[in-house]
Amino acid sequence: MQVRDALKKAFPVILLTVVVAICVSLLTAVGGITLPRIEAMERERILGMLSDMFPDMTRYSLEEEIYTIYKDEDAIGYAFIAVGRGYGGDVNILVGLEDEATVKGITIISHTETPGLGSKIAEDLFTDQFASADIDDVALTRDGGRIDAVTGATVSARAVADAVRSTAREKIDLIRGD
Amino acid sequence: MSDSRKEFVKGLITTNPVFVLLLGLCPALAVSTSIDNALGMTLATFIVLLGANIIIAAIRGFVPSITRIPIFIVIIATLVTVVNLLFNAFLPDLHRTLGIYLPLVVVNCMILGRAEAFASKNPMIRSIADALGMTVGFMIALVMISFVRQLLGTGEMSVFGFSIFTLPVLSEHPLAMFILPPGGFLVLGLLLALLRWRGVLKI
Repeated sequence: MQVRDALKKAFPVILLTVVVAICVSLLTAVGGITLPRIEAMERERILGMLSDMFPDMTRYSLEEEIYTIYKDEDAIGYAFIAVGRGYGGDVNILVGLEDEATVKGITIISHTETPGLGSKIAEDLFTDQFASADIDDVALTRDGGRIDAVTGATVSARAVADAVRSTAREKIDLIRGD
Repeated sequence: MSDSRKEFVKGLITTNPVFVLLLGLCPALAVSTSIDNALGMTLATFIVLLGANIIIAAIRGFVPSITRIPIFIVIIATLVTVVNLLFNAFLPDLHRTLGIYLPLVVVNCMILGRAEAFASKNPMIRSIADALGMTVGFMIALVMISFVRQLLGTGEMSVFGFSIFTLPVLSEHPLAMFILPPGGFLVLGLLLALLRWRGVLKI
């Protein structure tokens, strides 16, 4: 009798535990199925961006998060991912380098900036400004550089410029260190 | 069957989730910056709401009332995460557009609201009809809000990359405020006022 009463009292807790257990197993299963696909697509997307940035690329190697771009056997550039702190969250930027001092170009991989304002950092009008820029000149014009900000989205634009410059310097030290 | 039909139709206007129940305003205001986003959000909400209503109507018989809310939340959160993962894997473009708002479907009170107010008290078929009606109502509201915001905020009307028309002056000098959060509140408020004034909504 007492056992039955106790079970009755515990039933809501047991049921909740069972529901959570079912949900967790379901999520693990779905996560396991989708993860390889998500990762493969992300890689493919970055590869597509790399070959847009370096049309001559025939292959690349990835070491310590730095892509080295080859045309046949010659290294023609480097690329890496920089993360800027934007207005609405992280901005992931693929940065290509022509050599150890010059930017080849940038592509925004993902961002969560305000649609219509900050989101303009992903458009060519903004990103094209980085092409062939000297790394030391990568900063907003008002910060003494050569990049024009986006109207109404100075924070987003500065996040990109500053992330590109500081990450480029770090990676160049790494490349030279090799 | 006419019973289910009634449950479907009520979601469209008379108990429209956004315009009348004022539920799900967070995603409704957050993503209604373009028609594409509105339709993408409707699709995500549809899957989660339908799934939640079906599961909750099925288990309603033995869920004790004291733990019903945590159980509903766990079920809804699981469905949202599954949708998020599946969109990421199979609809990556839409996933990128919806961004942060897709996981935020979980805090859409419309879904918990329907689970609590309807699916936990009604049989399966009627709960499905309710979910369908609420989804269509949600879509009507989101498309109306995002139409106004996209038009005033960008001066261009395009759906899924196809440009429909461009306004002459506005596209040069768009009213960016309408894309920003205050614009969402303004448009929703003005639409509500307009619809009540014209007698479409009777509250």
